Amino acid sequence: MKFYRDHYDVIVIGGALAGLSAALMLADKGKSVLVLERHNLPGGLATSYVRGGIEIEATLHEMMSIGEKNNRLKVGKFFDDMGVDVEWLKVPEAYHASLPGLEVTLHPGLETFAREVDGAVPGTYDKVLAVLQLCDRVFNSVNELSIHPMSKPQMLLKHPDFVKTAGYSTQEVLDTFGLPQKALDLLAPYWIYVGTGFRELPFTIFSVLMADYVGYGSYIPKKLSHEMSLKMAERAEAMGVQIEYRQHVDKILVKNGQAYGVRTARGDEIYGDYVISSAYPNSVYTHMIEPADAVPPEAIKMVNGRRLSLTAFSVVMILDRPAEELGIKDYSVFRGDTMDTDKLYGELKGLGPYRYLTCICHNLGNPGVTPEGTCSYSITTLPRVDGWKTVSADEYDRVKHQVARQMIDTMSEYLGVNLLDHILEIVIETPMTVAHYTGMWNGCIYGYAHTMADHIVARLQTAEAERFIRHLEFSGAHQISGDGMGPAVTNGRKAAKNVLDTMAEEAAK
Amino acid sequence: MKVKGFLKDVGGASRVTKARLAAFAQASSTPVRTDPIGDVAREWHPGKLDMVVTEIRAASKTAKTVRFEKVGGGKLPPFYAGQFMVVDFPMGDSLISRPYSISSAPWQARQEKGFVEITVRRSRGDGFICDHINDNVKVGDTFRCLIGCGQFYYEPLRDARHVVALAGGVGITPFAAMAREVAHGTLDMDLTILYGSVASDDITLRDELAALEGEHVHIVHVLSGDEPDWQGERGFLTAELIRKYSAPDTTYFICGPQVMYRFLREELKKLDIPRRRVRFEVFGQAKDITVFPGYPQECRDKTYQLTVRRGIHEDVIPARATESLVVALERAGIRIETGCRSGECGFCRTKVLSGSVYVCPENDGRRAADKDFGYVHACAAYPTSDVVIKIPIE
Repeated sequence: MKFYRDHYDVIVIGGALAGLSAALMLADKGKSVLVLERHNLPGGLATSYVRGGIEIEATLHEMMSIGEKNNRLKVGKFFDDMGVDVEWLKVPEAYHASLPGLEVTLHPGLETFAREVDGAVPGTYDKVLAVLQLCDRVFNSVNELSIHPMSKPQMLLKHPDFVKTAGYSTQEVLDTFGLPQKALDLLAPYWIYVGTGFRELPFTIFSVLMADYVGYGSYIPKKLSHEMSLKMAERAEAMGVQIEYRQHVDKILVKNGQAYGVRTARGDEIYGDYVISSAYPNSVYTHMIEPADAVPPEAIKMVNGRRLSLTAFSVVMILDRPAEELGIKDYSVFRGDTMDTDKLYGELKGLGPYRYLTCICHNLGNPGVTPEGTCSYSITTLPRVDGWKTVSADEYDRVKHQVARQMIDTMSEYLGVNLLDHILEIVIETPMTVAHYTGMWNGCIYGYAHTMADHIVARLQTAEAERFIRHLEFSGAHQISGDGMGPAVTNGRKAAKNVLDTMAEEAAK
Repeated sequence: MKVKGFLKDVGGASRVTKARLAAFAQASSTPVRTDPIGDVAREWHPGKLDMVVTEIRAASKTAKTVRFEKVGGGKLPPFYAGQFMVVDFPMGDSLISRPYSISSAPWQARQEKGFVEITVRRSRGDGFICDHINDNVKVGDTFRCLIGCGQFYYEPLRDARHVVALAGGVGITPFAAMAREVAHGTLDMDLTILYGSVASDDITLRDELAALEGEHVHIVHVLSGDEPDWQGERGFLTAELIRKYSAPDTTYFICGPQVMYRFLREELKKLDIPRRRVRFEVFGQAKDITVFPGYPQECRDKTYQLTVRRGIHEDVIPARATESLVVALERAGIRIETGCRSGECGFCRTKVLSGSVYVCPENDGRRAADKDFGYVHACAAYPTSDVVIKIPIE
């Protein structure tokens, strides 16, 4: 029996957002594409599950880079251009910050946000707005430069703020504004979405995060993130992409330094001119390349020289009361005992107690998402992989319950309601859950930490030299744009663009 | 905005690039292959395992317990008491899968020579795999098994400490696992099993359960058959009986035949129990799909043409209207992965490319977007026209 064509232009490993974005873009250019996904549905972590008859969002808090229908940002525009017609709902607020001495709900829009910060910390409007506007200019430069690279003098001329801040950490730049600590605290909550303390986090990344989320707001798909993933997959198939589920790729086949196909766990050997891997470079270079000696030492040095970023731990619940009866007032709450991000980042190395939690109640952005009389409520922290690496299979269940309990207790105290009395369904998602369903290296969802030593600007500069095996590209959180569902789409498109550019170059020869 | 000196620094890009290259230059060139978090995930979920039958014993006069160990021995994956395992049975050219609640305890699987057991009752002529196990399976036979599936287990953060299990017939099996785990001290809750049977001389696992009774495990037999000498509880698992054994805060777990589910749904309503305190095991494959609301009766005697795409390969097979797509595939020797066979787990998620199907309303565990795009769980979908489907390559 023959299940595959003799040859594909491109084989994509992984049918999550990055892989599907790459497939869409390649199919749009008329290439023949095969997507191999290990799970039995698309989306990777952008998915949902059904418990007790109720569909539950698995991971998505808020999707960035979408934008209003008539003014799309890059991800929203890409979906529109590809005919991926997601029903987007705008998340009502940026976040509610529950920090030492502060209970403030902040809304998107640079001026709105600055005014609301000023409401809580009077006299800060001008400075906060100046920070946000600087972020916005850097953000616009990053977007433009990622499409139209230019020479350094040109860059300095047209993108001075980007150039001047590139060499500095978030802390260093924020310090220059002389803002009171409370105002700084209110600017900090999103840090967890990139997961590095401010002393290490490049200001460039902070800018993108703030300008995108605060400037334009965030979105969620009406039928949960599975709607987005499935619509991408359906559109890709309609464009001729072959997607095969439950196919685990074991090996990437390489000859003379060039990828030419893959072998699946089932034993199928499939040939393609290019391979795009959503599997981490760590997995690829240490386990998947065949023959193993086709991996140059520089590739190993590169993965060893980088720090894995965060993984995820979520307690996802369906509660047996409507949100308002439980005192849940905001779609998203960021709660911390301190807003010292460097300290918090340090704590994420362990197994708790986790003092910085993000909570989502989907019903407040998506009414009717659960049956009447119930609501969904998730509590998430994003630990580093370090602590979880030490947990054995026998300890795992105990540790997972202990951590979940601490998080539930913390939020029960905050809400003044014992959540344990209202749990209709509960799913505890751990780093191991991530590893099980997606195969991500050490359950890491955020790729490599954004640090001053692994800066996005540096990643862009050295990307070319890090393509160690010809015709092998990578897509996913481990690539240049880093983590998050919006960047996943961008990373996938970048991989597809690399393939298309190489095809054009080789055709020209 | 007052621009501080360093904001005029234009060398930042070069500086961070140098820092990055320096970090790589200093890094080791020895591959780090360890993925401990992935290793734990694989220990819990190793996929299908090759298992060998090492013991078969009577569980009653009509039921047998079959013990499986890993081929070559060793620990089995952890699971939760109450979960099921999927066993693949080779039948001629086909491979037919069935889910069975594991009746042994998780701690027994985690021993050096770990094992899992299922307890299977002879059918009344409608369960050929159950009869096959009772009649033909022998020590030394090997099967591929997936251990630890399903959501029917005690969750301490959700459930009350006092648990009343409502078991009917061979529905006792998940509770046997729970009772063993509680008795062993590795599951912390109080378990009272109300166990409905027809005849006192045919109670599945009766002796083994009796040996587990103690401070935290109570077994209450409830007999529906007419036996004058019976000293214990009689009749069905009524609201009144359930109330008698309940604590003020109790979680109810229910596992048994479909007819019992319908009965107990009504009985439990009378007790005004919060929704979160009631947990039913999956419904099981519909015995007769034509009795469900909205089933198109005009289809019932028809056999349709089912076109099955796997990759670029295509087969055309017959499919009876009253049998699920999964059964049609298994009859034709086409492999499809199944789990709960109750429409819940989604292992058999299948795209309907054209044609129409009827989805059993008791067993519709699909995602909303899946419904919009014609996905079905093939174990709970019945053809009502010629149908074209796409399934994964196994």
